[in-house]
Amino acid sequence: MPDTPSDLVQGTLDMLILKTLALEPMHGYGISVRIEQMSKGVFRLNAGSLFLAIQRLERDGLIDGEWKPTENNRRARYYTLTAKGRKRLDGETREWGRQVAAIGRILEAS
Amino acid sequence: MWSRARSWVRAMLRRSRIESEMDAELRFHIEAFAEDLVRRGVSREEALRRARIEFGGVERAKEECREARGVNLIDSLVQDLRYGFRVLRKSPGFTTVAVLTLALGIGANAAIFSYIDAWFIKPLPYPQPDRLVIFEAQDKKHGWTSGGVTSTADFFDFQKQNTSFEQTVAWGGASLNLTGDGLPELVDGGRVSWNFFDTLGTKPILGRTFTAEDDRSGAPHVAILSQGLWQGRYAGDPTIIGRNIAIGGEAYTVVGVMPGTFQFPLMGIANLWTPLALTDMQRANRGNVWLPAFGRLKLGVTLEQARAETATFFAHIEKEFPKTNTNLTWLVSSMTDRIRKEEGGPEVMICFIVVGLVLLIACANVANLMLARATSRTREFAVRGALGATRRRLAGQLLTESLLLFLVGGVASLLFASWGMRWIESQIPGHIRGYIVNYGHVELDFSMLMFTLGITLLCGLVFGFAPAFENSRLDVNHTLKETSGHTSGSKRGAQLRRVFVVAEIALAVVVLISATLLVKSFIISVRSSPGYNPANVLVAQLALPKTKYTEDSQLRNFSDEVLSRIRALPGAASTSVASHVPFGGFGQGLEFQVVGKPLQPGERHGAPFTAVSADYFSTMQIGLVKGRFFDSSDAYGTSPSIIISQTMARQVWSGEDPIGKKLRLGEQHSVGTIVGIVHDIKMYYLRERPGWHIYVPLAQFPSRTFGFVVRSSGDPTIMATAIRDAIWAVDRDQPISSVEPLENLIAAVNTGDRVVADLMVFFSVLAMFLGAIGIYGVMAHLVSQRIHEIGIRMALGASPVHVMRMVLSQGLKLALGGVGAGALAALGATRLLATELYQVTPTDPLTFIVAPLLIAIVALAACYVPAWRGMRVDPLVALRYE
Repeated sequence: MPDTPSDLVQGTLDMLILKTLALEPMHGYGISVRIEQMSKGVFRLNAGSLFLAIQRLERDGLIDGEWKPTENNRRARYYTLTAKGRKRLDGETREWGRQVAAIGRILEAS
Repeated sequence: MWSRARSWVRAMLRRSRIESEMDAELRFHIEAFAEDLVRRGVSREEALRRARIEFGGVERAKEECREARGVNLIDSLVQDLRYGFRVLRKSPGFTTVAVLTLALGIGANAAIFSYIDAWFIKPLPYPQPDRLVIFEAQDKKHGWTSGGVTSTADFFDFQKQNTSFEQTVAWGGASLNLTGDGLPELVDGGRVSWNFFDTLGTKPILGRTFTAEDDRSGAPHVAILSQGLWQGRYAGDPTIIGRNIAIGGEAYTVVGVMPGTFQFPLMGIANLWTPLALTDMQRANRGNVWLPAFGRLKLGVTLEQARAETATFFAHIEKEFPKTNTNLTWLVSSMTDRIRKEEGGPEVMICFIVVGLVLLIACANVANLMLARATSRTREFAVRGALGATRRRLAGQLLTESLLLFLVGGVASLLFASWGMRWIESQIPGHIRGYIVNYGHVELDFSMLMFTLGITLLCGLVFGFAPAFENSRLDVNHTLKETSGHTSGSKRGAQLRRVFVVAEIALAVVVLISATLLVKSFIISVRSSPGYNPANVLVAQLALPKTKYTEDSQLRNFSDEVLSRIRALPGAASTSVASHVPFGGFGQGLEFQVVGKPLQPGERHGAPFTAVSADYFSTMQIGLVKGRFFDSSDAYGTSPSIIISQTMARQVWSGEDPIGKKLRLGEQHSVGTIVGIVHDIKMYYLRERPGWHIYVPLAQFPSRTFGFVVRSSGDPTIMATAIRDAIWAVDRDQPISSVEPLENLIAAVNTGDRVVADLMVFFSVLAMFLGAIGIYGVMAHLVSQRIHEIGIRMALGASPVHVMRMVLSQGLKLALGGVGAGALAALGATRLLATELYQVTPTDPLTFIVAPLLIAIVALAACYVPAWRGMRVDPLVALRYE
């Protein structure tokens, strides 16, 4: 495992955000922390691109945002996965699995 | 897509709320991040600092979010506009040059467009003009058409039997002698069938139009006036309807007044109309093809159906009257198409194309200026880029700036446009304005404004795109690292500028060559001998009324008496008379047969025909080729003599000697003997090709129309009054249509060509000027960028002359590239001018050498100033400058 955080594979950020939210509703900061934790520090999100992605997902109706108090009583915008978002996540996960398997086969072949 | 639009609308409506929400969300993010760090043992201040670094630019993130929502479009447009105005105001020199260039280019286009619009775009000024069609006799075998006329019998038979047309109309232009109520006056107008106005669909402002009753031969005389005539000669008399006026010495009752906007371009200026009222004999004439006619299709009948019916009809007529109608049919064509093809249309089109090229040059020039200026603004863009402006945002701003510049130019162009339109209009003499399609509707109107706005935006986008694209692609790091404020700009930008300059010069060459060809053709046509000597010749034209002069002997006596009175005037060196004079308006044509050479069925020979007094040729100084002129032996009662033109002699008798041959002339079939051949002359048009012409003695062929031709020893105009008096001494009531120097008559007919030539001179000077500015700008910029390099060269020993040569050769390369490309393009383009040129080939070698050479010289001259500046560079200053 490399020491420095690596860049996300293009186009996977949306999928990772959706996956994070599939577990439980979360605010933006929570999403970035969760992704970092889950990837064991491999992926570290730039806040700019994170918020850009969130905006995009919300606009496309894949996630829903709502202001709620946090556990230590601050207000934060929590995002939940919509039905449409869940469907997209399923589709993308399947596609991702197919691609990874295919790439793996190519790399093992040599 | 829909949710995207909704979110955009929501974003626009609740901008401030969304902005503050975004702020709150981002703040929460940073704080939460900092708290995490504090929990791990970092001091609070350090945690906040690291959180912020981690986060990257807050503003940048916000900007990206905004961009993603599309809110920025309007926002940045307003911002760009404000910024653009500031930038334009800050560099008044650049702005003035650019705006002036654009205003001239766009304004000239708009002015010419107003005529294009009137001629080719606006519908004819009648209701449902697409249902109007023109009839004209056509020879099926040879494809020959009559030029818009039919025979009366054909017309009336067709009128009776056709089922395709709501109405069919016959008309003829006429000059009508208006007497009584002041000085006798010759008024242009028409004799028209009763349904003329109703079919066109124009209602009178007073009274009524003609009725079928009015149009019968022998019916009480009625007339309709134009608004202009009513308000002028009759001072707007409110009781004009029912009033009696005298036309040609006969009483006519005024029944209507047509609005001032009424115009029929085929008739020209018309102010007075009377019914045709043909006699039964005239109606039955099938051999003489002279009657102009048009019709209005029934609703729902197509042009094709009408054509089919017409063809069938004339197939019948042809069988029934083989003698007159063999091979004869009618060509049925849309009136709109026909009118657009009339003289003037092609000229307007040529001007429009040339002026379009000038606009392209102007636009390329402005684009070039913007590119040049942008290189000195690279630092500004680099800084903005570093502060987070995206490339698209920078390009957008540059595009906004150029659009703004073009729009200001477009608004300013309206001034030039209206001034240009007034100038063109002032160049068109009154008597031919009536032929201009939609005359009176050539104005600064909505369609012209739309056109101006359209080309302004189009040019702004097209020509603003290149600079915007080029300048937004600069490398921020590289630019900011350069120490001085003076940077070299992108290499591609410089290349683009060179391409622009080469294109500009090429276009200028095309414009200059086209213009030179047209102007040369104009000058040749003006300078070419018309076949007579028009200098010092005064022409008095008039027409005697049928009512007063019923006998041929009266006509003869009138002309003899006037001639002897004019000859008695001091200063009249030579005086004669003809039935029609050159450039004196419509002449007369005559059909003829060569005795002993029978015509094929359907074959016709016709030629312009002039009856002249014996000394007409010597007064006009028309040269004799062979045989003799008329003399006193060609008197009334003797066997007719004929003189023909050189071209006719060559084409009809090819090789044989026509002298002594006999011709059977016209309807009366009087047979005459050819006694002489004279040089070809120009009768109607300076660009006219030599044609057939028949002259006969006036004594043997009486005429009702006269052109008295007086050659004086000095300025002929001083004799005008004396000549009028001489005519009025013979008949006090006789109106004189004009007394004018022959040279003026020629100039008036030539006005269209002259206006085109003037415009061409203006356009080519403009094109050359703009091209010169273009190459000057590029070279000046190049030199200023290479000052450092020049300084080094000079420090190392290059002489000033060497530097100058270096700069000039660079300019020369651009100029020659442009000139070469332009000359090649012109080779293709000038072929379109072929029909407009008189005795000049579209590839006239002299023009193709001189015009490009001139442009090359002008371009080099424009390079000289920057080259001179380069030469004067002081190496010390140039090197320290860095």
